[in-house]
Amino acid sequence: MIKFLAAYRPLIDLFLLQSGYALSQYIVLRAGVFSIASAGLAAIGAYVAALLTMRLGLSPILSIPIGAVAGLASALLISWPLARLRGVYQAIATLAFVQIVLSLNLYAEAVTGGAMGLNGIPSLVGTWTLLPVLIGVGYVVTAVNANKLGRAFEAMRQDEAVAASLGVSVTLNQSIAFGLSGAIAGLYGGLEAFHSYALEPNQFGFAFVVATLSYVVFGGRRSVLGPIIGTAVLVALPELARPLAENRTLAYGVLLMLVINFMPRGIVDSLLEYVHRRRMARP
Amino acid sequence: MWEAFDVGLPDQAAGRAMIAQQLLNGLVSGGVYALFALGFTLVFGLHGILNLAHGGVLMAGAFIAYYTVQAGLPLALGLVLAIIGGGLLSVLLEFTAFRRLRRSGEVEFGAIISSIGANLVLVTIAQRISHTQVMRFPFGTFPIVIYQFLGVRVSALQLFMAACSLVLVVILTFCLYRTGAGRQIRAVASNERAAVLVGTNPNAVYFQTFFLSGALAGAAGVLVGLAFNSIHFMMGEPYLLRGFVVIILGGLGSVPGAMLGSLLFGMIQTLTIAYLPSGLTDAIIYSILFLILLVRPNGLLGKPAAGVMRGRR
Amino acid sequence: MTTLVLDHVTKRFGGLVATNDVSLAIPPARITGVIGPNGAGKTTIVNLITGMLPLTAGAIRLGGRDLTHAAAHEVGRAGIARTFQNIRLLREASVADNIMVGFHRHEAVSVTASLFGLPSARRETARIRVRTQALLERFGMQRFADHPAGALAYGHQRRVEMMRALATEPDILILDEPVAGMNDVEARELGDIFEDLARSGMGIMLIEHNMRFVMRLCANIFVLDGGRLIAEGPPDAIAADPAVITAYLGI
Repeated sequence: MIKFLAAYRPLIDLFLLQSGYALSQYIVLRAGVFSIASAGLAAIGAYVAALLTMRLGLSPILSIPIGAVAGLASALLISWPLARLRGVYQAIATLAFVQIVLSLNLYAEAVTGGAMGLNGIPSLVGTWTLLPVLIGVGYVVTAVNANKLGRAFEAMRQDEAVAASLGVSVTLNQSIAFGLSGAIAGLYGGLEAFHSYALEPNQFGFAFVVATLSYVVFGGRRSVLGPIIGTAVLVALPELARPLAENRTLAYGVLLMLVINFMPRGIVDSLLEYVHRRRMARP
Repeated sequence: MWEAFDVGLPDQAAGRAMIAQQLLNGLVSGGVYALFALGFTLVFGLHGILNLAHGGVLMAGAFIAYYTVQAGLPLALGLVLAIIGGGLLSVLLEFTAFRRLRRSGEVEFGAIISSIGANLVLVTIAQRISHTQVMRFPFGTFPIVIYQFLGVRVSALQLFMAACSLVLVVILTFCLYRTGAGRQIRAVASNERAAVLVGTNPNAVYFQTFFLSGALAGAAGVLVGLAFNSIHFMMGEPYLLRGFVVIILGGLGSVPGAMLGSLLFGMIQTLTIAYLPSGLTDAIIYSILFLILLVRPNGLLGKPAAGVMRGRR
Repeated sequence: MTTLVLDHVTKRFGGLVATNDVSLAIPPARITGVIGPNGAGKTTIVNLITGMLPLTAGAIRLGGRDLTHAAAHEVGRAGIARTFQNIRLLREASVADNIMVGFHRHEAVSVTASLFGLPSARRETARIRVRTQALLERFGMQRFADHPAGALAYGHQRRVEMMRALATEPDILILDEPVAGMNDVEARELGDIFEDLARSGMGIMLIEHNMRFVMRLCANIFVLDGGRLIAEGPPDAIAADPAVITAYLGI
């Protein structure tokens, strides 16, 4: 067991980090917000946390939560214009946000290190920090799903007019979902900063967007298990099969096309649905 | 280099000439954006599909032209093959990435995911073919001739690009608004079920729109490859990202809007590059996009759709 | 007791007048019918009341409250619930979940409590589940509680929609063709439920094609034609009104 952990530690850490990003992406889609802003929000969290510690000597115990708050605040700030948009318009607006963060990050070289990024961030976050944090975030997302907010999100996702007719404020609830997504992204940005010594702007670019969307689409967009299992499989696949590692992007591309066309609910939700139907069919 | 060129002109005149020069450059690059963005917006406007693999088609067009020229064949043939190849590739995308989604009723989200996947596939294949290298047309593929009048320089290549864009845009407009096929396309777009009832085959219509869209992107790829003399597997991405700005500026789904948006965008971009700190170009461009979405999400010529409540999809 | 009042309401789409100077009142504890031939503008009126469409002119009030410019969710919060002519359920969600969303307006739980799954949020959810069960029993739908709503038969879907609207415990309930596609027995069953609801104090606005059904249930009927109000009165007066007969027979 110990040996197994040691050998696969980097992979496990990667899974724990990526799961957080997947949950950040999941929660907005859950509420019917078509945002792909998580990449930009994670970048904000990561740089805020890293800079507070490197430049001002703040303890990571403080700077990581501040990074999460920065993610939350940025999300709430752009949720106002975003709430007036729908569907692809939200996707494009959030993509613009990701690009703005990326290019400002490159431009503000004096502060952020520009294209070189930041190096020598103390590596203080390991498996035993990431695991409880993921459990905590997983708990929050599960709680949301089971309560008032989750019911409102589900209604909005499926039919906004119905949600509104029942008194659900779509603007307010979209902002809440978006803020939660921003807080999670910011938190994980900070964790990643203190996990991997270095940050560079392009790790929060389009590839990030594609990866997190893949986790959620592959795993499923309804159950909380969807994004987590989706992440686990997609992170582990290249390690299990060498040819997949060499053709990672190709495999991602083909997989995305296959899943959205042939199993649009993702593996976990499709499976849960199948089990549910079997149970219903029984007398 | 402008300083050297403008020697002898009074300052004010030099300034005016420089602005004129920038506007001209912007107009030419705007024409190329138009080729790319028209197909992008057409497919969205008609079918509600945001095809994120459209940048991949542009890249494929440039690759086709490059390898044609490499094989010792004329550039003109390369351009024609890129147009045909881009069109066919786009049709292939419709067939593999979107056709099933049309039936699922969740086209909006599904198409984005599916086309991101398709784009990854295209880009990876191109990366393999080109061994991750930046490729250049052999010297002299396009004659370097520069004309100048009133202090403004125009290269033969720029004239060629402008002419190509203009001709192709006119052909597209003609196809769309003056032919039977165009009428069918617009009928399916406004109401697929009704169009089927009167005997239109929607699959044929999808074939036509995707072919037109891909053909234009293929041509744009060749022009971009020539203009920067640089062809590589990632060249589609900036065009895709800027394509968003263009089509939102013009109004998502609006063909005339995309034309207007492209020209405006070409000029905004050239002026930004010329007069503002170079590192900020992207930040400014995407802030403009964000601002348009904030103030006028339906763009200059779009239909009011940006904030429409999503009902049952 | 709150009455829903439409005061000289007009709606124009470009040059087309969909609703022309309509005034009507839906009092509490009574079933009020709104009838009219196809295209008379009935559903437009529902959309105007529920904030789905902005009015061109006129005012809408619920009790003392002005809802003329209220957004859709504010109208819902104010206590007006509706069903949709072309049933709109959360098709992927279970029947029980569909109904539970309806209680949203009465959930006082804070965002924080909901985020962190605090006991108050869980108690609220448990309470709602009990009340959902009661509604399911009232409509005889217990055995469908865990079925996905989209998979139910048409008549059952209509019931789910009504239960969801009732879950909001509205002052005014707008039913847009609630018995369309149902047989007489099913319609009668639902009619009894509507009468019960009215007796409990709810104001019901019934939009229907089925004349027999409307005549049997309604205390007062408004007749629309071409976006304009052409008659108002108790069922027997309406049935004898020459303007109504003309509109319906198209003479």
